[in-house]
Amino acid sequence: MKKSLYFILCFGLVFSTFLGCTKKHKLDNETLVFNLETEPPTVDPTKTTDTTSSLVIENLFDGLLDYDLPNLTVVPKVAKSWDISKNALVYTFHLRDDVTWTDGKKVTAYDFEYSWKRMIDPKTAAEYAYFLFDVKGAKDFNQGKLKDEKQLGIQALNDTTFQVTLAQPVAYFIHVATFPGLMPLRRDVIEKHGDKWIEPQNIVTNGPFILTKWKHDYEMILTRNENYFGPKAKLKTIRCLMVTEQSTALSLYQTKKLDIIRNLPALEIPKLKTSADYRSGNFLGSYYIGFLTTKYPLDNKYVRRAITAAIDRNQITDLLEKGDLATTSIIPKGLLGYNEKIGIPYNVEEAVSWMKKAGYKLQDVEGEKQWVDTETKKPFPTITVTFNTNEAHKTVIENLQQQWKKNLYIPVEINNQEWKVYIDSLHSARKTPDRVGFHIFRLGWVADYPDPDNFMSLFTSYSDNNNTGWANPKFDALVEKAKVVLDPKKRAKLYDQAQKILLEEDAAILPIYIYAHQSMWRDEVQGIALNPLDSWKLDEIWVQRKTAQK
Amino acid sequence: MTLVYILKRLAISIPVLWLLVTLTFLFLRIVPGGPFDQDKALPPHIKANLEKEFDLDKPVVWNTKKWSEGHYIQFFTETQYFYAMKKLVHGDLGPSFKYRTRRVTDIILESLPVSIELGLYAVLFAFLLGIPLGILSAHRHNTWIDHTSMFFAISGVTLPSFLIAVILIYFFSIQWGMLPAGLWDSGFEYKVLPVVALGIRPVAIIARLMRASVLDVIQADYIRTARAKGLAEFPLMMKHVVKNSLIPVITIAGPLVAAVITGSFVIEHVFAIPGMAKHFIQAVTNRDYTLVMGVTIVYAVFLIVANITVDVMYSVVDPRIKLS
Repeated sequence: MKKSLYFILCFGLVFSTFLGCTKKHKLDNETLVFNLETEPPTVDPTKTTDTTSSLVIENLFDGLLDYDLPNLTVVPKVAKSWDISKNALVYTFHLRDDVTWTDGKKVTAYDFEYSWKRMIDPKTAAEYAYFLFDVKGAKDFNQGKLKDEKQLGIQALNDTTFQVTLAQPVAYFIHVATFPGLMPLRRDVIEKHGDKWIEPQNIVTNGPFILTKWKHDYEMILTRNENYFGPKAKLKTIRCLMVTEQSTALSLYQTKKLDIIRNLPALEIPKLKTSADYRSGNFLGSYYIGFLTTKYPLDNKYVRRAITAAIDRNQITDLLEKGDLATTSIIPKGLLGYNEKIGIPYNVEEAVSWMKKAGYKLQDVEGEKQWVDTETKKPFPTITVTFNTNEAHKTVIENLQQQWKKNLYIPVEINNQEWKVYIDSLHSARKTPDRVGFHIFRLGWVADYPDPDNFMSLFTSYSDNNNTGWANPKFDALVEKAKVVLDPKKRAKLYDQAQKILLEEDAAILPIYIYAHQSMWRDEVQGIALNPLDSWKLDEIWVQRKTAQK
Repeated sequence: MTLVYILKRLAISIPVLWLLVTLTFLFLRIVPGGPFDQDKALPPHIKANLEKEFDLDKPVVWNTKKWSEGHYIQFFTETQYFYAMKKLVHGDLGPSFKYRTRRVTDIILESLPVSIELGLYAVLFAFLLGIPLGILSAHRHNTWIDHTSMFFAISGVTLPSFLIAVILIYFFSIQWGMLPAGLWDSGFEYKVLPVVALGIRPVAIIARLMRASVLDVIQADYIRTARAKGLAEFPLMMKHVVKNSLIPVITIAGPLVAAVITGSFVIEHVFAIPGMAKHFIQAVTNRDYTLVMGVTIVYAVFLIVANITVDVMYSVVDPRIKLS
């Protein structure tokens, strides 16, 4: 009897812990539940490099300038105006004097000076320090060659004037002033709390929201900053959840536990597309195929041209059904320099003639067509394409394999590698292309700032991101020149010339499509504008729920 | 006696842990790709700054440069391995490579309790359901009750937990709207589906074990004697059969708890639960050296403790077994 009593007591105790806590998150017209998808690695602006962290940072902090979305023009934020010297070397930002931190102190130019210098301080080891390498002395300072901070071109002249001096004029430099990594920071707060300064109990920010709760790997609560200098956020609370599994996020959305989901499960997209909640738009990112241009047989530019012309990119975008835009240009649509007429389009006849020009002859061997080198009589080798393990990439690469086989009679093998192994082998390919087991790889690039230089400088011979081994001094010179030309028309022309070399003449890469992002939200959620930067201004969103739910 | 035994076992586990930590350390460095390798390549000196911050600028196991300079002790001490071990001995797991502003210790301290909570609920669920199910099956041996419950038990063992999770979500959340499809908010309704999905396999294991054990005991002479003496069926089952059948079930409790707590990756992922299991996979994918080390140590300690507990349990439950 006693034992069964104990049993019942224990049982009751456990279940009362379940039932005891009944605090629920109510869905009302003051709260939005947003899927952040993953834990932001950090919300320390200086140390961030990823999009999730940037999304949160942009809603917690305000920088010097901002973008007017979706036009992508630069507009004032904490800086009410700015001057650029005639030689385009000195940028002077005039700050508002009514911007305050969440602890009531004023935001001054010194807070910007601190954050900009922190970014290039080698002790911070900031990954995006190179964003400021156009600033006078910044690169040397980051490399430890320059020790004297005073020689840096970063200076607060007084509380409301912040001045930046460049080493050379750069056409896109104004975008740097919008960069989430360069939000103003409070030296006293960071020095007092160390790495823990970003925790809700310590953090001091100046944006439309305050970070009031951060349960790591689970949720963040952003609460309206009532003392914000600009138009106050429309919603009082944003609950940012970190639901990584896309199908779970979709289930939570369907059961109204989530208001906005981004990145939908690929298999569900065809079905979800018919829903009124489905929204899609292109953003500034390009998916491309890279060739190892120093490795046989792709060291022949005519072979690369042929391989490029044999691909119908629309087949791939149709297959993926995500709304991606097939492209021949690596500069994405929406940016200066995008030119849909540049690049090698799908043309099988031309592909065949380029193979011939490359020195190959089409022969019938045992009933199968095969290219044979006219000099050495050797058959064209099997090409290997590698990609990082992922279902969508697999779809793309398998389609390329089929097209090359069908359109150009080129035998292709494919293999996949885990992400970090993949990155490692791409880096080795740059140094020793003949020792890696592939000829062709895939990659994508998403704009750090809306300027064509961000895409074009990737493929300069000295870029750390150029994995193709391709080097063309003419291209390098054009990209360097376009960097400093301030007239947009002249710049666009220079980029046209550069793209022609990269994509047509030398065919070092094969652009496939411009990324599209997919999201879902119900009509009761308003004020969202999908934009090419995939930026989420949560302060502009409001909800009008049909029936307030519990 | 028991205490001495436990202390002895713990002492033996220290070299085991050391070996494990060393192997983990080496394997991580052998695997291609490092923590700072990413598609947007970093300029070499920025990478160098980062590597310096995380002690990766030193040679891995021995420093030949120091040897050639005549610093023979620094041949061993100026290495990544020595720095990592020194920190470990002081109980410092270091900062995470991926979550740069968080310490590994904090990550584990925040996520482990969630996994333990989920795991314990699942084990409790498994015992509360598995034991009666096993008894019932054995008692109604070869009847439809036995067949049905064993059918479910075998399904529970064979079906992968993610499939069970998806089926549960489909019916209970999407179709019937009874329970949330995920999340780990406070509130009973958030615990039900993950606990059931995680616990269904242990339920099956326990039910089958219990059934076999009860069948074994039922045929023992003393039960026949008890029956012959006219003891009623229910007290007979409860007092004599069940009590003696529990031995094998209790002994698997230890490893079961460890397995459930650390093996809940899929369930935590599917239900968006902020537990530790996901770090087992993601930390490796991110080459987050310190975090991998941290979770490996936690897992190892769990297994060591579970094994010791089981051995001690044996002697408690069955006095014929002696600890030595």
